Amino acid sequence: MYCLSGLGGIKLRRDGVNLKIKELKSDIAHFRDLSITIGAIARETWVEPMGPTPFPSLTTLRSWDRKLLERYKPFYLPFCDLCCLCTYGKCDLTGNKRGACGIGMAAQQSRTVLLAASIGASTHTAHARELVTHLIGKYGRDLPLNVGGLNVEVEAPHMRLVCGMKPEKLSDLEEALDYCEKQVTQLLAVTHTGQEGNNLDFESKVFHAGMIDHVGMEIADLAQISAFDFPKADPESSLIDLGLGSVNINKPVILVIGHNVPPAAEIIDYLREQDLTTEAEVTGICCTAMDMTRYSAKAKIVGPISWQLRYIRSGVPDVIVIDEQCIRADTLQEAMQIKAPVIATSEKNCCGLPDRTLDDPDDIVADLVSGKSSGALIFDPVKVGEVTVRTAIAIAPKRKKHKVLPSVDELIRIAKKCTLCTLCRRACPNDLPVSYAVKAAAQGNLNGLDELYDDCVGCGRCESACPQKIPVHSLIVTAAEKKTAEETFCIRSGRGAIQDIEIRKVGGPIVLGEIPGIVAFVGCANYPKGSREVAELCMEFAKRRYIVCTSGCAAMSAGMYRNDEGKTAYEMYSGSFEAGGIVNVGSCVSNAHISGAAIKIASIFAKKPLRGNYEEIADYVYNRVGAVGVAWGAMSQKAASIAAGFWRLGIPVVVGPHGTKYRRMLLGRSDKEQDWYVYDTRTGKKVYGGPVPEHLFFAAETKEEAMVMIAKLTMRPNDTSKGRAIKLTNYIDLHRRLIGGMPPDMHLLVRKMADIPLTMKEDIEKILQHMKWTEHEIPDPTLLSRMIHTPKEA
Amino acid sequence: MFENIPVEVGLIHEGERIRKNDMHVELGGPSIREKFEIVRVRKDDDITDGSIDIIGPDINDLNEGKSYPVGIIVEISGPKLEKDLEGVIERRIHEYSNYIEGFMHLNQRYDIWIRLSKKSFKKGLNSFTQIGKVMQELFKNELPFIEKIQITFITDPEKIHPFYTEAFAIYDERDARARGLSDEDVDTFYGCALCQSFAPTHVCVITPQRYANCGAISWFDGRAAAGIDPKGPIYAIKKGECLDSEKGEYSGVNESAKIRSMGEVSRVQLYSGFGYPHTSCGCFEGIAFYIPEVEGFGIVLRGFRDKTVNGLGFSTMADSTAGGRQVEGFHGISIEYMRSRKFMHADGGYDRVVWMPLEIKEKIKSFIPEGVYEKIATEKDVSNIPELKEFLVAHQHPVTRLWESVEPSGKTHAHQMSVFSCEDIPITAGGFRIILKNARITAEKIIIQPVKPQQPPGG
Repeated sequence: MYCLSGLGGIKLRRDGVNLKIKELKSDIAHFRDLSITIGAIARETWVEPMGPTPFPSLTTLRSWDRKLLERYKPFYLPFCDLCCLCTYGKCDLTGNKRGACGIGMAAQQSRTVLLAASIGASTHTAHARELVTHLIGKYGRDLPLNVGGLNVEVEAPHMRLVCGMKPEKLSDLEEALDYCEKQVTQLLAVTHTGQEGNNLDFESKVFHAGMIDHVGMEIADLAQISAFDFPKADPESSLIDLGLGSVNINKPVILVIGHNVPPAAEIIDYLREQDLTTEAEVTGICCTAMDMTRYSAKAKIVGPISWQLRYIRSGVPDVIVIDEQCIRADTLQEAMQIKAPVIATSEKNCCGLPDRTLDDPDDIVADLVSGKSSGALIFDPVKVGEVTVRTAIAIAPKRKKHKVLPSVDELIRIAKKCTLCTLCRRACPNDLPVSYAVKAAAQGNLNGLDELYDDCVGCGRCESACPQKIPVHSLIVTAAEKKTAEETFCIRSGRGAIQDIEIRKVGGPIVLGEIPGIVAFVGCANYPKGSREVAELCMEFAKRRYIVCTSGCAAMSAGMYRNDEGKTAYEMYSGSFEAGGIVNVGSCVSNAHISGAAIKIASIFAKKPLRGNYEEIADYVYNRVGAVGVAWGAMSQKAASIAAGFWRLGIPVVVGPHGTKYRRMLLGRSDKEQDWYVYDTRTGKKVYGGPVPEHLFFAAETKEEAMVMIAKLTMRPNDTSKGRAIKLTNYIDLHRRLIGGMPPDMHLLVRKMADIPLTMKEDIEKILQHMKWTEHEIPDPTLLSRMIHTPKEA
Repeated sequence: MFENIPVEVGLIHEGERIRKNDMHVELGGPSIREKFEIVRVRKDDDITDGSIDIIGPDINDLNEGKSYPVGIIVEISGPKLEKDLEGVIERRIHEYSNYIEGFMHLNQRYDIWIRLSKKSFKKGLNSFTQIGKVMQELFKNELPFIEKIQITFITDPEKIHPFYTEAFAIYDERDARARGLSDEDVDTFYGCALCQSFAPTHVCVITPQRYANCGAISWFDGRAAAGIDPKGPIYAIKKGECLDSEKGEYSGVNESAKIRSMGEVSRVQLYSGFGYPHTSCGCFEGIAFYIPEVEGFGIVLRGFRDKTVNGLGFSTMADSTAGGRQVEGFHGISIEYMRSRKFMHADGGYDRVVWMPLEIKEKIKSFIPEGVYEKIATEKDVSNIPELKEFLVAHQHPVTRLWESVEPSGKTHAHQMSVFSCEDIPITAGGFRIILKNARITAEKIIIQPVKPQQPPGG
């Protein structure tokens, strides 16, 4: 608002500028009581003109979505054949039956996907809102946003692209948040009975939810990086201790779980203020752990989400602080078992605890330490900091006897209760041989249980199913005690954004065929084979000189493996966005930097305007940027919305086998030649661009299949011959090693003779001859006819 | 293709590193003085195609864990081969030999460092004949203008010396030729369309005296690539008529640019940051940026992390430079171009350069004309434009001579600050339309306070 002092009679009003000039004289006119009202004056420092679609509504980008969905037709995998969302139901939708409301199976499945994606988008948006509100309260509205200083010119690619805005200070984020909240509300409304009935319209809205989700994530991470002074696009951010074994159990141990970091930051601040930093261990699970280590490199990460139960069962944590998202709903009950008080801090997760926000910290601490209360709900992060630290220090000596797992003898004694009913195995989401392991333990052989530890995702369903009430999960953790003690790994602290300069540097190597692509490992830890597979995937692609990005729980898993030399992935590979780098961007909300980097490529290399220009940029990314997202353990609704945000930008996503439970895949048909035509912007002609990327959403059955698919999905129609050759080299090599033989689609992926990898010339030429292959031009590809170049007359 | 080779041969082994504990033997490397590799173009009759000679012990006869001198001489012939391409072809030795599993090759020329892994040795990779066979196969396959090829490996410490001295003489001769070669000496330049896959209107022109912006492709590289695959992304440009020798404008380059940029770029002046400068893609190594206050150019490289003298960092300026456009005053360049005598020739070359980071200044010291070096400021000398001005005056930098003609006359007037000024302000009120022409509202003081923004439209 402009306040003009010195001019008499000016009135200020909240809703804009209102000028009242009592008298204005000039040679030709004389005004009395002139009043000028201006709705709003935007302070415009950004010269880029506004693009066509700022703040897109639910349908603004529908035609772009349809283009993608035309190629990647949804392939539904009904995880549940019934709809039970309204009281007409349950409605059986199998065999082309329609529900009472008229909905069919395809629409119902996509409706469920939309529901999941909306939950995901709302969660990140709500997370961002809470964070921004808290940080504005603490640091003021004018705190400048800074994600990478001079090295990051495009600070908020998503907000620029989607909202057409260039945020400069904390309070600028509110406008984008308002927009996201409005969109999420409308998206959720679409899932009400009697709204959309067409599956593709649902799918388009899923993409919309994904796009909103990435804006929400970007807001959250921009705010916390700027206010908490997290590493700012630093490729050499600190190495952080990771793993159960890295926790010093002789000190009071604080455990934080969740995603929203302010309470954890206040705990660290309180320790610093009281000079107690060396007196207590601050440990974390899930993304709060990640973000906490971006705040203080001394904090420790226990592990991904799946470590919750095993860590609590170990009895090590003295106080458990939970904020929001992906926290086990039975945390309080589990904590009561080990006599560790729980402090809940989020309005979204109150655990039934009494609200003690306004109480005297002395009273709360006393109640928690004495055991009078098993937990407290405290919404003030500062108070959380004080109460947590004081409670931990006071209670730790009393809890010493709880910091042990059952002894081996006791384990055997408990296991003897097993009747081999095998209900535990049936309850196991990964069908692990739990019952036989327990039975063997009863005979003194703990190997089976020990082996389960690696494959177990820590859900505890086996225990709930056991009629003998055997604490199966505790048995597993006990049997693997030696292993858990050896869990001492490290991870590079989340660095946030990718520097513009790093992107510039890799431009050359990408077109010269030295970097085959960008692979991002993101999402939860619901892995069928423990963390090892994610670590192996990361290292395989880093070794092949791809640019590897990680975030969230996947980033932790990537570090939970040591090679022959005893080094973790983060010690073996650089943290730079370069060939063979492993770049940990940070927590879930940091995913926005990975998609953001793809957006920035368009601005950096082609000087494409980002502002409110979603469709054009997505078309650029889709046709040119060889990036693939991998969510090997995708579990949550947030994972669904994160993936959807990648899809709308044209970036394919590969998930693990359980990913089919998201109810549909987006699969291309390489056998249908007509599906793969693009415009060549130079000539305006429609030309065959090849089946690349072949799929937009693909569930791989095994790690091996995933590797081959990842290598294949980095191909794009614009690839230079050198670029295509290196991509083919990796694809063929992985296929030969892991699946066997030459891949069957060489004739579809080779465009010119120069695309053929040098060392495989003979073999490939034979195949091409056999398939009657002919050379075709490499287009300057686009799906948008408006992008066709109109030649300038010289 | 490599059925008789006991290990894998493929691109994926290229980045392989072999640590000391894993190596069977080492050839060259830091502890060995005499080591080299060289490619020579010979007459057809002088070559026995496919032959591999070993002077000295073969791999099998070398002691485990030890380091040895090594020389690799690759001799080739073919009617299209030119002596000028020897250097380019020579660098393929590194690439091809690295494809061999368990064979690590680092560096080039007289600096090579080779290790063979224990694992691959055990698998049966125990002779230079095998290495030579792989290289011959790959050379001929990728570079079909090589018709005959023979390779000699030298490991005998007694016999390597004369070969080593000869190789050195040839490197020197080659370097002298490369440095001496000027744009006037050739009739063909090369263009590179690789970056067009990301920046569709960028046209890269590579001449003997203007390296590609990315720093990765020289005129010789261009010549070799265009020779191998004339329809490939690197193509020959007939220089045509010289339209302006000072600015470096050629009719052939203009025509090619027009076609390749789809009409976006119709003129290119190779040695200037003004007028019709060379376009910049996104991966240029540095930027020459005009500083109007001193009428000179500053130079900043990609790796420079601080603000430059004009208060902007590399990324900010790169944003103005990039995208395959001709931007006056923001000029993408390679480091190698800074070593060229034609560097920004039309704008005055180094006489016009006023600022650059110390690191690069040191690096290219010998290419900056005598007497100018100490007149160019670095981040250690100045940190803003007024300081730069002072520095330039104090050091009598050549640009200061440009200033004399346009000394400002008298003081600037202290204007009253205009807050609102507009040609027309139309106001509609009560059925009347009032237009305030050239309206100007001034204020003594303005306070700008943020308010909660309006709800966005749409949605």
